Amino acid sequence: MMFLQVVLTGVLVGSVYSLVAVGLTLVWGLMDIINFAHGDMMMISMYTVFWLYTLLKFDPFVSLPISAGITALLGIVIYKLVIKRVVNAPGLMALLATFGLSLFIRNFAQFLWTPNYRFVGESILSGKRILIADIVIGLPQLIAALGSILMTLLIALFIKRTKTGKAIQATAQSRDIAELMGVNTEKVYAVTFALSGICVGVAGTLLSGIFPVYPEAGAMYGLLAFVIVALGGFGNIWGAFYAGILIGLTEALGGFYLGTQFKYALAFLIYLLVLQFRPKGLFGW
Amino acid sequence: MNEIMKNRMLYLIFAIILILPFVLQDVNFQHITIMFLIFAGLGEGWNIITGFTGQTSFGHAAFFGIGAYTSTIMFYKFGISPWIGMILGALFAAGISAVVSYPCFRLKGHYFAIATLAVAEIIKQLFVSWDYVEGATGISIPVKPDSFWMMQFHKSKIPYFLIAYVLFIVATLVAVAVEKNKMGYYLKAIRESHEAAEALGINTTRYKLYAMMISSAVTAVFGTLYAQYILYIDPFMVFGLDISMKIVLLTVLGGLGSVYGPIIGAAILIPLSEYTRVFLGGTGKGIDLMIYGALIVIVACFEPRGVLGLFRRTKKRGAQYAKTTA
Amino acid sequence: MRKLLVVFAVLLAFTVFAEEVIKIGAIFPLTGPAAATGVKIKYAVEVAQEIINGEHPEIELLLGKSAGLPNLNGAKIQFVFADHQANPELAMAEAERLIRNEGVVALIGCYHSSATKPASQVAEKYGIPFIAGSSSSAALTERGLQWFFRIAPHDGMETVFFFEYLKYLNQKYNANVKKVAVVYIDNEYGVHAAQMVKEKIKDYQADGFSIVADVKYPAGATNVDIEVQKIKGAKPDAIFHASYIGDMTMFVKKYKEFNVVPKVVLSYCGGYQDPQFVINLGKDADYFAGPNATTSALFKKMAILAKINEMYKAKSGVDIDGPTLEDFASAIVIAEAINLAGSTDPQKVLNVLKTGTFMAPYFVSGRIKFGPDGQNIYSASVMTQILDGIYEAVWPEQYQTKEPVPQFPDWNKR
Repeated sequence: MMFLQVVLTGVLVGSVYSLVAVGLTLVWGLMDIINFAHGDMMMISMYTVFWLYTLLKFDPFVSLPISAGITALLGIVIYKLVIKRVVNAPGLMALLATFGLSLFIRNFAQFLWTPNYRFVGESILSGKRILIADIVIGLPQLIAALGSILMTLLIALFIKRTKTGKAIQATAQSRDIAELMGVNTEKVYAVTFALSGICVGVAGTLLSGIFPVYPEAGAMYGLLAFVIVALGGFGNIWGAFYAGILIGLTEALGGFYLGTQFKYALAFLIYLLVLQFRPKGLFGW
Repeated sequence: MNEIMKNRMLYLIFAIILILPFVLQDVNFQHITIMFLIFAGLGEGWNIITGFTGQTSFGHAAFFGIGAYTSTIMFYKFGISPWIGMILGALFAAGISAVVSYPCFRLKGHYFAIATLAVAEIIKQLFVSWDYVEGATGISIPVKPDSFWMMQFHKSKIPYFLIAYVLFIVATLVAVAVEKNKMGYYLKAIRESHEAAEALGINTTRYKLYAMMISSAVTAVFGTLYAQYILYIDPFMVFGLDISMKIVLLTVLGGLGSVYGPIIGAAILIPLSEYTRVFLGGTGKGIDLMIYGALIVIVACFEPRGVLGLFRRTKKRGAQYAKTTA
Repeated sequence: MRKLLVVFAVLLAFTVFAEEVIKIGAIFPLTGPAAATGVKIKYAVEVAQEIINGEHPEIELLLGKSAGLPNLNGAKIQFVFADHQANPELAMAEAERLIRNEGVVALIGCYHSSATKPASQVAEKYGIPFIAGSSSSAALTERGLQWFFRIAPHDGMETVFFFEYLKYLNQKYNANVKKVAVVYIDNEYGVHAAQMVKEKIKDYQADGFSIVADVKYPAGATNVDIEVQKIKGAKPDAIFHASYIGDMTMFVKKYKEFNVVPKVVLSYCGGYQDPQFVINLGKDADYFAGPNATTSALFKKMAILAKINEMYKAKSGVDIDGPTLEDFASAIVIAEAINLAGSTDPQKVLNVLKTGTFMAPYFVSGRIKFGPDGQNIYSASVMTQILDGIYEAVWPEQYQTKEPVPQFPDWNKR
């Protein structure tokens, strides 16, 4: 019974990781840019939810479209102001830019909203849970997981079915050829950043009931997302999804049976082990 | 050796750095020059594997920490001189880097970069949980009277500066030697095209391994100095991602793959972070780090080849100007 | 020309007779993961500075009435703040800079024990006093430093306090608390506290106490689900927490979700003591307990504390909490020591610190005196428990504002 509970926890936690990673893998696969500010965009979404809750008493689920919209906008702004200028820069210059951006956003948040740890108090879900025999499923956690899976599905469909999505795929294959075919790659990049923003926006909203809101809230999620994206294979949406679940499971099972202090170290270890057999990630080719 | 003597510019830089702490005898300024030397040296070491060889490492804190911990444990537990610890730490770091990076070298590009990050995080967690090295509690290095042999100086910062200076020069010359040597050409061939290098008959794994070992040994040496300078270490400060990223940032900022890059990058980044913190850090509003972050973004956006690129461009323009006026 | 000379002379006179400003360094984590606490401490130290420098006869402290330090011709105290970002390297560098460049005559700080270690080492080197307000690692006062003092009870003292409190609950309320779980963050603060529990429990085995779970979680954890499941499996009567505000809040939410119902939860100086704990959790924060240098329930009993809190609240918007008050005390004590010494000569200040007893009417212990190792021998803590959203003092009995509740009710029945 305990085992089932732990596995369930791993899957629930992992699916939120997945959504954060899906947002990152889109950008990474398309532009070959490591976005260090990814977790911080999520933090902005959490603050959006927090303020809407505190000032206007909006339930987090009501704020969902607003916070996702704000992070989508933030993604576009980041692209237009910064990424656009470094996307073709040699070496690791783009990384330098996003790292600086991350520092800026984090401390801007502290400047505006103080470094206090805050929580979104009551939502329609808070405190509710499902009991099946001995197994406990927290409703906020369950909704976060289901929401993440749904969102991943939507993003995957968007990429596969829509015209814009196909343009993104084409640009990821070869920018030059895509441009020759009449794809406005500039626009494609901006749209991708917006999609990436929507992913973290939704993830941040879903997390706001279970995770504290503070300027560094995105840090650990961002770091894990790097590993998950690489584990899944760069640019591979379903790769990121399954890798997220795998990391969640590793964290839960490893943490429970080997000691909770090792849970992140074990997640990193899994990455190293898997890459020995699949040097381009689980779903890389 | 002849090649090394050609770098007149480099010697000029060495000479200027040497007089800095004697001209401005302000203790905070001296501290900044020491941190500058440590991080410029770390950047030189990192440049060997990433700048020359093209294998991005986000995990150099692992070797920095191994250097710091080796000498500290030997001094703390057995009273052995940190100088011996420094050498052993460098050897350990080289050995461990060989063991952990050998399997990782099959990974390409970002897959390798994330693997180095993973290795560093795992090693950090091992040290946090390892009771023999005092785990998360960290180690306060016992204070001894001023002594070169024990690498502790309390009356003045100049001895620390001189040690950092010598180590920095050694690191820079190692980088120059690697670059100008046959090995340097091999490494750059690997960087430009892995397949082509192999086709030319270069044993890529072996040379990457050499580059990694030299790079991590250099990194470890500065770890020892850092520990002796701060006189306290814990796994979070020496194995942290912050250290790895700081090395990456300053080298990229200065100019990746050039021996001048880390020097320029550290000369900008270290004083910038120290002075913004000194003047604005006391407000508690995070303004210092906002400015720091924003300036990094601005440099990255407007000088995509690093600050070195700016120098090169102005030099070229100057040459053109000289031509037209002549 | 003559006019100019006069102006010059007047200026000169001003500089000669202008009140002297005595600078004291204050190094705290003002950015980074612990910035929330650091910024609060900064407000408290600023309040201390106002009390010392301004005329506050309503606050009955040695330096409240007069403006500045009376024994030094009304010299003003200025606290120079520096940020260590929770990084020991920066704490060390800032300590040195403050001493050498800013010319501070004493240092206070650094909240994190890991930052206090190298910073106080620098103070020792230069021979100037260092007073730590809230750093709680027992290792700090075991180093044999001459110039180091600490106000807060260290984690070893806190642990003894915990077990004594549990014994009290067992005797008076038949609480039958035996099985203890230790839950702590994997860093200097948490690991050291856990070591103390394992060490001190040996003295209490005769009373039937035993450790049934030892749960260490990584700093910056994204969730604590697995940790809580482990705790639940061990079925402890009491949980000892060494956690910061963010993780502590996550734990409480998960205790509720998994219906973990211990009898007692005691927290080391950290997240529980932060008033944000009640703000974030509301009713769910009830029944948690921990030692605290102060509580809002005591304001009614201690008028001076209420006045200090009034000034503090005007700046920070929340009531003053234990760790913050301890750092406030460090600021007051160093100023009083300089005043009593009648000079900023470090040796004289040191003698006062080593021999003097300082009145601290804002603490329940009422005074501060440093032992030979620099540790304040009067533990300033009372056991507090949150009851109906208020930190009530529950033990020792003479300070009691409400009786303790030695059992968590079921989470659904709140």
